[in-house]
Amino acid sequence: MNLDWQGAWASVIHHPLFGIALTLGAYQLAMACYEKTRWVFFQPVLASMVVVIAMLLGCGLEYAEYRRSTEILGILLGPATVALAVPLYLNLRRIRLLLWPILTTLVVGGVFATGLCLLIGWLLGANHMMLMTMAPKSVTSPIAMLVAEQLGGVAALAAVFVLLTGVIGAIFGPGLLSWAGVHNPAARGMALGLTAHAVGTSVALQEGEECGAFAALAMSLMGVATALFLPLTVSLVV
Amino acid sequence: MLLRGLTWLVVFQLVGTALNHLFLSILPGPIIGLVLLLIYLMIRGDVSEPLSVAASSLLRYLPLLLVPPAVGIMIYATAIAENFWAIVGSLVLSLVISLTFVGWFMQKLIERRADHHES
Repeated sequence: MNLDWQGAWASVIHHPLFGIALTLGAYQLAMACYEKTRWVFFQPVLASMVVVIAMLLGCGLEYAEYRRSTEILGILLGPATVALAVPLYLNLRRIRLLLWPILTTLVVGGVFATGLCLLIGWLLGANHMMLMTMAPKSVTSPIAMLVAEQLGGVAALAAVFVLLTGVIGAIFGPGLLSWAGVHNPAARGMALGLTAHAVGTSVALQEGEECGAFAALAMSLMGVATALFLPLTVSLVV
Repeated sequence: MLLRGLTWLVVFQLVGTALNHLFLSILPGPIIGLVLLLIYLMIRGDVSEPLSVAASSLLRYLPLLLVPPAVGIMIYATAIAENFWAIVGSLVLSLVISLTFVGWFMQKLIERRADHHES
């Protein structure tokens, strides 16, 4: 009997569900490893990313094809962003109580985070295009992509920097904050959401509802502020 | 239950997309949707059961949804390699410093406020 193994394999890996299966599988594997070991490098987004990339390279698949087949996950990111309004609303009373600390931190922290990134990048010799792509790295990817494009950076690359920033923040953030003696859940959430956007917010949500709410708040405020003021500032400075 | 909440979330995002197209091209639809939903919840005064079920189920899988865009790093491998140290240096250093600073700063402000209220 002569079965067409190769043809069967090709039709499996090129099936639109293959990308989904790969992502779901990698994610659950990463989650399981992370929950067992609590080792920071098994941070779910990072570990799944590594597994998925290795599998794609191993199967000889293009990113474009993977992206097309996982479109549904990308589409759900929109409603998930909208859903952040719920934890935000549930903690509104506490947020109102801390309105001034929040706004002050947003302005000081936002300017500090963006300025520092540009300064270090410039000192280390990144070119203009790279700098403009890195500038909006602390905000959620749809905003970052729009802003990077306005500034003369590359939108898709901006999304990658955003994700990298988020993953680094998720890996080191909680440890750093504890090390610096920051135990207040509101302050922890604010720091994670402001600098590490959605990935930071997902870590903050695991720490607790209050922490998550502040992260969601910081993420949306930082996103709005960056979208409005960064292009303006850059056009004035450069 | 889940479906009804999901429908609301999607509707809010679509309204956000329409507003994005009409007036606010600088803010993406989902963020406008977030603000609209927040205003709606503030007017309504509580979160309905379907909405809270849908929101918490979606948010639980937020990291999963972020995996496909993260995989996009593979097509920029060469561009990243050329500027490797500048990128890694500025992303890591600025994140580590500003994250710690923001947390510390916020906690200081909160503490100062608490002291203020007590005295």
